[in-house]
Amino acid sequence: MTTDALPGSYLDDGLTLRSWLTTTDHKRIAILYALSITAFFFVGGAAATIIRMELATPAGDLVSNDAYDKLFTAHGVIMVWLFLIPSIPSVLGNFLLPLMLGARDLAFPRLNLLSWYLYMAGGLITLEALLLGGVDTGWTFYTPYSTMFSNTYVVLTLVGVFVTGFSSILTGLNFIVTIHTLRAPAMGWFKLPLFAWAMYATSLILVLATPVLAVTTLLVAAERLFQIGIFDPAYGGDPLLFQHLFWFYSHPAVYIMVLPAMGVVSEIIPCFARRPVFGYDTMAYAILAIASVGFLVWGHHMFVSGQSLAASMTFSLLSFLVAIPSAIKVFNWTATLYKGSIRFDAPMLYALGFVGLFTIGGLTGLFLASLALDVHLTDTYFVVAHFHYIMVGGSVMAYFGGLHFWWPKATGRLYPEVWARIAAVLVFVGFNLTFFPQFILGMEGMPRRYHAYPPQFQVLNLFSSTGAGVLAIGYLMPLVYFAWSLGRGKAAGDNPFGAKGLEWQARSPPPTHNFDAPPVVPARVYDYQADEPRPEAVR
Amino acid sequence: MSGATLAHPSVDEKQEPETGKLGMWVFLASEVLFFGGLFVAYLVGRVRFPAGWAEGSRHTDVLLGTVNTAVLLTSSAAVALAVACEEDGHARRWKARLLSLTAALGTVFLLLKGLEWHDEWREHLLPGPDFALHVAGAQQFFALYFLVTGLHGVHMVCGIVALSLLARGRARARPWAGARELEVAALYWHFVDVVWIFLYPLLYLVDRHG
Amino acid sequence: MADHHAGPSGFARERRTIAFAWIALLLLMLTSLGSAYARLGPWNMVAGLVIAGIKAGIVAWLFMRLREAGVLIRLAAVAGLGAWCILLVLSGVDYATRTLTPADVQRPQQLPPVHGAASQPH
Repeated sequence: MTTDALPGSYLDDGLTLRSWLTTTDHKRIAILYALSITAFFFVGGAAATIIRMELATPAGDLVSNDAYDKLFTAHGVIMVWLFLIPSIPSVLGNFLLPLMLGARDLAFPRLNLLSWYLYMAGGLITLEALLLGGVDTGWTFYTPYSTMFSNTYVVLTLVGVFVTGFSSILTGLNFIVTIHTLRAPAMGWFKLPLFAWAMYATSLILVLATPVLAVTTLLVAAERLFQIGIFDPAYGGDPLLFQHLFWFYSHPAVYIMVLPAMGVVSEIIPCFARRPVFGYDTMAYAILAIASVGFLVWGHHMFVSGQSLAASMTFSLLSFLVAIPSAIKVFNWTATLYKGSIRFDAPMLYALGFVGLFTIGGLTGLFLASLALDVHLTDTYFVVAHFHYIMVGGSVMAYFGGLHFWWPKATGRLYPEVWARIAAVLVFVGFNLTFFPQFILGMEGMPRRYHAYPPQFQVLNLFSSTGAGVLAIGYLMPLVYFAWSLGRGKAAGDNPFGAKGLEWQARSPPPTHNFDAPPVVPARVYDYQADEPRPEAVR
Repeated sequence: MSGATLAHPSVDEKQEPETGKLGMWVFLASEVLFFGGLFVAYLVGRVRFPAGWAEGSRHTDVLLGTVNTAVLLTSSAAVALAVACEEDGHARRWKARLLSLTAALGTVFLLLKGLEWHDEWREHLLPGPDFALHVAGAQQFFALYFLVTGLHGVHMVCGIVALSLLARGRARARPWAGARELEVAALYWHFVDVVWIFLYPLLYLVDRHG
Repeated sequence: MADHHAGPSGFARERRTIAFAWIALLLLMLTSLGSAYARLGPWNMVAGLVIAGIKAGIVAWLFMRLREAGVLIRLAAVAGLGAWCILLVLSGVDYATRTLTPADVQRPQQLPPVHGAASQPH
């Protein structure tokens, strides 16, 4: 891996715990994030496991009502704020962005480390709230329940969320400045990899939406501690004010979760189809369009809340519009595959899975954007299925795809391909088995956030719980074989997949300063040729 | 402020702004949304409770509020002057003093604010069971008043600390207290001033002639 | 740094600009104060906000040096405002068109706190 002449990799650059905890190297910070979000992922997953076990039978017999409320709240809070939001940006984005730009680090490396510490502080505070007894309001903290009636650790949890939010804002800030100021001289905007575009758009949302969440958590805490009355109808306050402020952040938040995933998929598909991305310019504009129009649609979470009909109709129309750039991207990924030389390596399996599952998730979003349909479907399992198709079938699969794709670059080792493909298939099958029945359950009227349900829903729930078991296996396998590969995996070489992109010009794993010699920016981005010889499939 | 060593200069150095300045402007954009949420809550309340907002606003101390506004505007001028001093060799020695002046004015602001809050506490204008005003919405007005001036005050403290540190560093010719760092800190200070510029009419001048 | 700042005469100009801006800001503040005592009805708020907007503009343009900043910085300066306007306008659609029909129990009034904060988890 190292020669006498070249310095060691970033992994060799300081072997003490202290060197890791005081690092400003974007690659090490990415690893720190990877470890922490994985830990939180399994905590959130444990909550999901108990939920699915409970839901295997119609009676609410495994846990009490209150405990169940706390479980789905914990699952939501952890998965959204402590796993999904930081996942691709803070792990893959941190590791790859400077490499993709040909830079040595982010614009503000110390701020990057601060971001991780803020994330950890927020995460630990949230975990503490969980251990003390949890919170039962749902991850959405709707007022007046959260402000007036809940007897659980609302304020503490919100403090955790508040602190984590600043981690997001600072990361977004760092990425924006980095992309503007640290690109290689020959890398104009329209030579940026789509992953970089995705990081840019995501960062805009991180910077502009998260502060509203921050101030909303303060308002809820103030209301709860001092009964100030702004969300309390008895004082003439407006519970919907909370919802407007909350969803103004939380809808763009879902684009924080999906845009990076789209970026990852845009890197993987061209590589394993040996074709440049179809319609690169359009893909870049679509990313920006999703980010901007995504700010205009939050009221579709409030159709039945008491919001005015005029506002609901406005938001419904705008929500239909936001589907368009997403659909364009799906068409372009598909067109990229056309006449490609496709190979089904693990990253490609995850990427293709993303395209299919995101499409289903996106289409079902249109159902929910239709006012009349939403009246029937809102607060049912249809919504739960919809957002899990996007968040899990979409974002988590893309995250896993990215982890596999760039694992050789980050570690210098190959993961075992056969096991990885098996895991990918298990994830795909398990996911669909878990969540497709939930669409049907929702249409049939099963409400969300209930742990007891009428017996006629049991069969579909059993499918769902079984699927969750398969999914869990699929998620646990990478833990095992990634760890194995660190010790016993084959050496990866600089570019095992024959991919384009500046990051592949660095060594695997890269040295701390990233590039031994200034990387060469190709004339065209994604310059894949179908007839170009490609490396043998990794094993 | 940037700790990154560039592998190579950016695309077009003349066009690209300094990293630190761009970073601060991006941060200020996020701050607009942070305070902005409170402004929305304020506007919703004002439209719903015009009488309550008016009653509440009449009980704010317009004299102290106006003096404070003048103090803050002056402090902005002071720090702007400190930044401008960079251009002139003779004037540079004034930088540290102007920064200290700005920090001092900021401290005056906080002291006056504290006085206001103390008076309001004494007059039972803190939201709670003994809230003194009985017009609907007045309590919410004051809740938002304390929240937003409190958050503004926290921002002021950060600014005062930053400027004081820079003043001291400048006086001792520390490398981390250079022109760039000062410009970035000054941007933050001006922003905190801009927030107050809007708070002044919204909190103190709702219905003075009622 | 833009060239027109350089040198002693540049500094003198800059100093003058700051002084004028400062005076303008104070005068605008007093105007705002004065206008609040005039019976203008709903225009009081408009006047207050317009004057505040001008003051903010002076601080942003002259003190924060947007006058000589590039496109990128100006965009950053405006982006926050733009996003905030979206929040205001679209939630405003709801607030402007929602009819409130308060029930008796919900008529706005000063109530004592609903629950005591003493022994409960927070």
